[in-house]
Amino acid sequence: MLRAGQPGGAPPLEMRGVRKAFGPVVALDAADFHLREREIHGLLGGNGAGKTTLMNILYGLYRPDAGEVLVGGRPAQIRSPRDALGHGIGMVHQHFLQIESFTVAHNVVLGTPSSRGLRLDLSGAEERIRTLAARFGLDVDPRALVAELPIGARQRVEILKALYRDARILILDEPTTNLTPQEVDALFGSLRAMVDEGISVVFITHKIREALNVCDRVSVMRAGRRVLSVEGREASDEVLVRALVGEDVDVRRSLLFSDERAARPTPAGRPALRVEGLSVTSPQGAPALRDCSLVVREGEVLGIAGVAGNGQRELVEALMGVRAAAGGRVWLDGTELTGAEAARVLAAGVAYIPEDRLQDGFLPKADVAQNLILGFHRRPPYGRGPWLDWPAVYDAARRLIAEYRIRTPGPHEAAVNLSGGNIQRVMLARAFSHPCRVLIAHNPTRGLDVPSTEFVYTKLLELREAGAGILLISEDLDELLLLSDRIAVVYRGQIVGTLPRPAFDRYALGRLMSGVADGG
Amino acid sequence: MLTLVPYVLASQGTMLAGRAGIFNVSQEGIMLAGASVGFLGAYLSGGNLLQGLVLATVTGALFGLALAYFTTTLKMDQFVVGLALFFIGLAISTLLYRLAVGVTLTPPLIPTLREIALPGLSHIPVVGEIVFRQNVLVYGAIVLSLILYLFLYTSGPGLALRAVGEHPMAADSLGVNVPVVRYVATVVGGMLIGLAGAYLPMVYTATFTDGIVRGRGWLSIALTFFGGWSPHLIFFGALFFAAVEVLAFRVQVTGIGVPYQVILMLPYLATMAVMMPTFRRLQIPAFLGKNYDRERRMLL
Repeated sequence: MLRAGQPGGAPPLEMRGVRKAFGPVVALDAADFHLREREIHGLLGGNGAGKTTLMNILYGLYRPDAGEVLVGGRPAQIRSPRDALGHGIGMVHQHFLQIESFTVAHNVVLGTPSSRGLRLDLSGAEERIRTLAARFGLDVDPRALVAELPIGARQRVEILKALYRDARILILDEPTTNLTPQEVDALFGSLRAMVDEGISVVFITHKIREALNVCDRVSVMRAGRRVLSVEGREASDEVLVRALVGEDVDVRRSLLFSDERAARPTPAGRPALRVEGLSVTSPQGAPALRDCSLVVREGEVLGIAGVAGNGQRELVEALMGVRAAAGGRVWLDGTELTGAEAARVLAAGVAYIPEDRLQDGFLPKADVAQNLILGFHRRPPYGRGPWLDWPAVYDAARRLIAEYRIRTPGPHEAAVNLSGGNIQRVMLARAFSHPCRVLIAHNPTRGLDVPSTEFVYTKLLELREAGAGILLISEDLDELLLLSDRIAVVYRGQIVGTLPRPAFDRYALGRLMSGVADGG
Repeated sequence: MLTLVPYVLASQGTMLAGRAGIFNVSQEGIMLAGASVGFLGAYLSGGNLLQGLVLATVTGALFGLALAYFTTTLKMDQFVVGLALFFIGLAISTLLYRLAVGVTLTPPLIPTLREIALPGLSHIPVVGEIVFRQNVLVYGAIVLSLILYLFLYTSGPGLALRAVGEHPMAADSLGVNVPVVRYVATVVGGMLIGLAGAYLPMVYTATFTDGIVRGRGWLSIALTFFGGWSPHLIFFGALFFAAVEVLAFRVQVTGIGVPYQVILMLPYLATMAVMMPTFRRLQIPAFLGKNYDRERRMLL
């Protein structure tokens, strides 16, 4: 590996031979990492590649089983986040570690010594936060309640927490999740400002495009090891993808890397799913979905874009009959399904891939076969009156396991032993193996590695070719741009605009997602 | 004012541990043990109340330490441990008394806490006598509530305590030592609850009887919830409850032709009636009752 060309200056950070196992699962195996001064270092890898685990070790959240960490050339014992902060290491976690009922200032000063002894010095802290915010372009009101801030602002709070503690090394774990393209640009601007002041940044991501766009250097991790480090300007997506997935995916033929703007015949099928004026009220009584109307045609993928929490979940759950709607009507192929419960919605020909597969999608203690027929168990070929035809169930399960390449010892295996990617394959097999008119897929590739994502995309497009209507709700803009025929954007529970494929533009979508523009 | 003290002390103790995420449900047991130990400490030393109070506080601290150890270090279920401690407290209170005193026909007595009139203030007409002529623990409970309020909302350690109960991982990631905070809060909380128990024989009965706490421990949990886990609201909630309790007692003594069972219900009903409207929007520490394990895969 190349050494940094800094005469006399030890590298700010080096990790060597780090190993970490969680029970039988080896997350990191002899991983190393080398950070230079004043660089944005991209740490790229699929789900489970070990990038977050490596950084959690650096931040003292996990204890490594083996290996050493050198900060500024000297060995550092990091046993807790307190030690890490003491070494000038700050971390922004993917899931913000913030206390929602506290103000921004309270969240920032938490755990820092006060100039007034036991008493908090809030006005001093607010002043300091404002100064830092201005210097790095991280605009936020220190007195605001965190719970009331949008995602982008909460991210800035998270970065300010590290800067407030004079971090010299800043780790960001998947910081662009849930940000609009505009917010992503602003974030990168702030990171540049930090680098200019001598801070080194580690930027964890699974998005190749981002790694290429902003990083001075990129390291790729796979299966618990660092497999590649390249200068940003020498990297190309092909190099990175090969390092990411090994030789599993044919990059040139891969859907994932095909041109997202590729022309495609406009589907003109009959409406498969029609929704009019759907409204949902949250348990707290606030409107979560307001007067939502949409049509999914046969052979069409209608994408729903939006920052998480703008009514997507309510829309999906109301359509599936899992959550009661406050108003509005739903038709499937002209049959009214308004207010139908989940069993009838499924029976009518709607397939469903839930967003949270662990929570809503499967029974961990049931076996793989039982999970594969869940929701379809009342009807033939599986159900016979009140009884189940187990031989038929296990036959079907064996077939699906082979067809969907689910990695499991067999249909009798407990589902809890499946990996995330394989659980999602079970979800897909269940949704696709029954005749369906409409598929509702909510974040179907979240947390999946590249080959699994590719698999999901292929299956979705096959279903589209077969004439089903697909409602694809996703927080991944790239995914929507790649797969959708039209994209509708939800903001605060309302559809604020719909773009047809020829008009796709990520910045236009970003404006709609942040509510600053009304689209047509 | 007299009846206020055990509620305030026990509820504030519950609140302290709860703010760190430890849901203590052994108040009744700790108070019984505190009452027994406190009484014996005073009785065996020939009426030294201070010694009784100190010993009761230490007893409470030991219970708090046990709760913290089993939940924070061994990561056992908080309710199970709490209930076990309740039964231990219940048993110990009777056992110690039997060992030290045995079975007697006339109960052994200790002196009760003297009332202290605050100079000047107690001469204010009407109010003065009621408010400013009290035993030392009444003043103590008031001052304690004020101190806790300031501690929780204006101090750095108070902020850390609240953070640990709301989001221990966030606190941990900023260098707050979560186990230490939980231990300290639970032990100090246990001390207050033990003290609350000792108050009963020293003010009400002058002796120890089995089950002397009579559900006040359980009630303190309810008052803590009603007070939204905030020291000031807990204080006023306890004050209100105690006032209605005294009122009910007076009504009972004068007799107005209502079955006395109904009158005994009064404090509970009145407290519920007053607190219900506020109850809906009260905050409960988000991590109340949940243990925290840093290395468990992050599933928040």
